Amino acid sequence: MDAIAAARDLLPGRRTVRIGITGLARAGKTALLTSLAANLLARRDVRVAIAPAGASALPRFDVAAHVAALAADPPRWPARTDAISLLALDIDVARGMLPDRRVRLELLDYPGEWLLDLPLLGQSFTEWSAATLRRLDGRPEANDFLAFVHGLPAGAADEALAATGARLYATLLHRLRDEGRLALLQPGRLLMPAPGPAPPWTAFYPLAGSGPLARLLAERYAAYTASVRRDLQRPGFGAIDRLVVLADVLSALHAGPAAFADTAAALSAVATALRWRPTIDVLPQWLTRLLPLAGIARVAFVASKADHVAERQRGNLAALVRTLTATGPASAAAFAIAAVRCTEDFVWTLEGRPVSAVRGRVEGQGLVGSYPGEVPDRAPAADFWAHPFLEIPAFQPVRLPADGRVPNLNLDTLIAFLLEDIL
Amino acid sequence: MSDPRVTPRIEVLDATAPRLETPLDLTPPEPSRPIGTLALTTLGLALLIGGLGALSIANFVIDQFARGPAFGWATLAVAGGGVGLVGTALVRELRALVRLDAVDRLRARLADPSTTREAALEWVATLPDGAALTGALRQINDPDSIRALLRDGPAAELRARAETLGQQAALATFALTAAMPSPTLDAAVVAWRGLRLIRDVAALHGMRPGLFATVALLRRTLNAASLTALTNVAVDTAMRMIVSHPAIAHLAGDAAGAGVAARRMIVLARAAAAACAPVTPSR
Repeated sequence: MDAIAAARDLLPGRRTVRIGITGLARAGKTALLTSLAANLLARRDVRVAIAPAGASALPRFDVAAHVAALAADPPRWPARTDAISLLALDIDVARGMLPDRRVRLELLDYPGEWLLDLPLLGQSFTEWSAATLRRLDGRPEANDFLAFVHGLPAGAADEALAATGARLYATLLHRLRDEGRLALLQPGRLLMPAPGPAPPWTAFYPLAGSGPLARLLAERYAAYTASVRRDLQRPGFGAIDRLVVLADVLSALHAGPAAFADTAAALSAVATALRWRPTIDVLPQWLTRLLPLAGIARVAFVASKADHVAERQRGNLAALVRTLTATGPASAAAFAIAAVRCTEDFVWTLEGRPVSAVRGRVEGQGLVGSYPGEVPDRAPAADFWAHPFLEIPAFQPVRLPADGRVPNLNLDTLIAFLLEDIL
Repeated sequence: MSDPRVTPRIEVLDATAPRLETPLDLTPPEPSRPIGTLALTTLGLALLIGGLGALSIANFVIDQFARGPAFGWATLAVAGGGVGLVGTALVRELRALVRLDAVDRLRARLADPSTTREAALEWVATLPDGAALTGALRQINDPDSIRALLRDGPAAELRARAETLGQQAALATFALTAAMPSPTLDAAVVAWRGLRLIRDVAALHGMRPGLFATVALLRRTLNAASLTALTNVAVDTAMRMIVSHPAIAHLAGDAAGAGVAARRMIVLARAAAAACAPVTPSR
C-alpha cells in the first residue's frame, strides 16, 4: 500500500469499494459473483455480513438462492442474468490498536454487453461503421442486414428506413451472440437495454457514406456515446473502482479461429478503453487520488472455467489472457480461475503416454475424463487450428462443503489482488 | 508432461460415478493460541503430583537405604521399574502427539507446490508398497497431478481399509446395542467402540496413540466429521450393506437406535481416516 492509499485509509467514515463484475457472454459472471460472495462470507479471519438493501435503486443479487442451486442434488448452474444487480457486504477490518474499520464492499453485476460500449467512446461514427461492416462482411447471419444497407439509395433520409435498419441490426446482433457465439457486438444497449423505455437515439446501425441518413445515424451515435459517458460517471452504475472482466477463452479456442479472433478483439478493445480515467484538470493529481474520483483503480482480466484444463495449462491460459489484454491499463492483471470447481486433476495414460488431464461428473454420463488439447500461451498461430481443441464438457460442480465455502481455483489470488489494500 | 502428439479426447471413465466431493480442508479450526487457563492448571497439577511424587519416592528410597542396603536396593529397583514404565508411556504419548503434528506438516508441504514432490516421495517411502510409486512421482510435473496420484493410490487403499474397519465396528455396534438390556449402556458401548475404532484407524496410518494423542485425534476427527457429514449417500450405501446381513436383518426393524449407532461408526471411520491421512479424499 502506498502512502496516499494509507492516508486515504485513515480518513474518517465508512469506506465503500465497488467492484464491477462483468464479462463477455456466457463467461460465468453470476457463478463468479456467487462464489466470491459465498467465500467472503465464509471467511473466518474477518467479519463479513450481507449489508441491508436500504433504499437502493438497484435489485439485490440473491446469493443465497444461487448457492442453494449449486448445493442442490442434482446441482443447477445459476440462470443467465439479464438485469443489473448489486450485492453489498459489510466487512469489519481489524486495524491493530485502532478500532475496527467497516468497509462496504459492493459487488455489481455489470452487463458485459455494456462493457463493449466503452471502445465507442474513442471512435467516430464513420470509424465505427467501417470497422463493424468490415467484421460483418462474409458472415452468413449478416446477409439480410448487409443487403439492406448496401441497397439503400444515396439520398435516403426516411425515418422508416432508420427504424427498419435498426430492427434488422438488432436481430443480427442477437443472432451473432446466440448462434454465432460472438462477443464484440456493439452497441451493447441494443442487446441489453437499460431500464426504462428506449430513447430514439438507440435506433442506429453502421452505415458507410455521408448522406442524410448517415448524418441522422451519426447524430444518434453521438447521443448514445454521450449517454455511455454520463452513465460511467453516474453514482448508480458508475463509480466502479475495481473491475473484473471475465472471458470464456477455452470455448473460444474450441469455436475456431473466427470466434477466437472475435474474443481477442473484444478483450483488446475493452482493455484499451479501460485506460480512460475521469480527471479534474484543476485539481492536483495527489488530491484527485484521495477523492472518490479515482476511476477504476484495478482491473482483473480473468479466464473462467480454468478447472476444465489441467494445472500446467492454467498457467498458459493466464498468459494467453495477459497477451490479449496487453493494451490495458498499468493496474491490470490477468488470471485463470474457476469460480466454482467442477473437476479434479489426474494423470491419464493415453496412447501409452501419461497426460495431465481433468475429470469431473457430467449429468447423465457419469465421470468423464477430459484432455481437450493444448492451451497456447499466446495468440495461436495458423497451425494451431489444424488440430482441434475439443469442446469442454458441461461438468457438474463438486459437492459443496458444509462450511459455506464454494470450492474454486485461484479465487483467493483474485480476491487478494482486488482487496489487498483492504483485507 | 502433456504430449502434443497425443490426440485430445473426452471419454466417459465411469458411468455410475457419484458427484465429486470437495477435497477436505482439515486445517484446525482455530489458530494456535498461548496456553489457556485449563491447560496451565492441568500442567501445574501434573507438576505438583509428578514432582512431589518423585521427591517422596526419592526420600523413601534414601530412608530405606538408612534401614539397610538390602531394603534400599529392593526399593530402588521397584521405584526405578515403576518410574521407567510411566516414563516409557509418557515418551510414547509424546511420540504419538509429534506424529500427529507430522501429519499436519506433511499435509501443508503436500499443499505447497514448491514442496509437493519432495513431501510425496517422503510419504510413500514410509508405506509398504510405496517404492512402486517413486518412479511415477518423479515423472509428473504438476503438483495437482502428484496429489491426485497419491489420492487415487496409497491414500485410497488406506481409506478402503479404514472403511472396512468402520463396517466391522458398525456391525459389532449394531449387534451389541441391539442385544443390550438397558438403553443407558448403549452410550457406553458406542463410546468404547468408537474410541477403539479411532485408535485402529490411527494404527492403520502408522500411529500408536495413547490417551492424550487419542484425545487430540478425537478432536481432529470431530472436525473432519463435521466436514464429511455431507457424504450421506456413501454412508447410506455402506449401511445397506450391513443391514442386509442375514444375522442383522431381522433385528433392524426393532433396533432403530442400533442403526443410528452403527451409522455413526461408518462416519467415524471415514472422519478418522481423513484426520490421519496427509492426502484428503476428494470423492
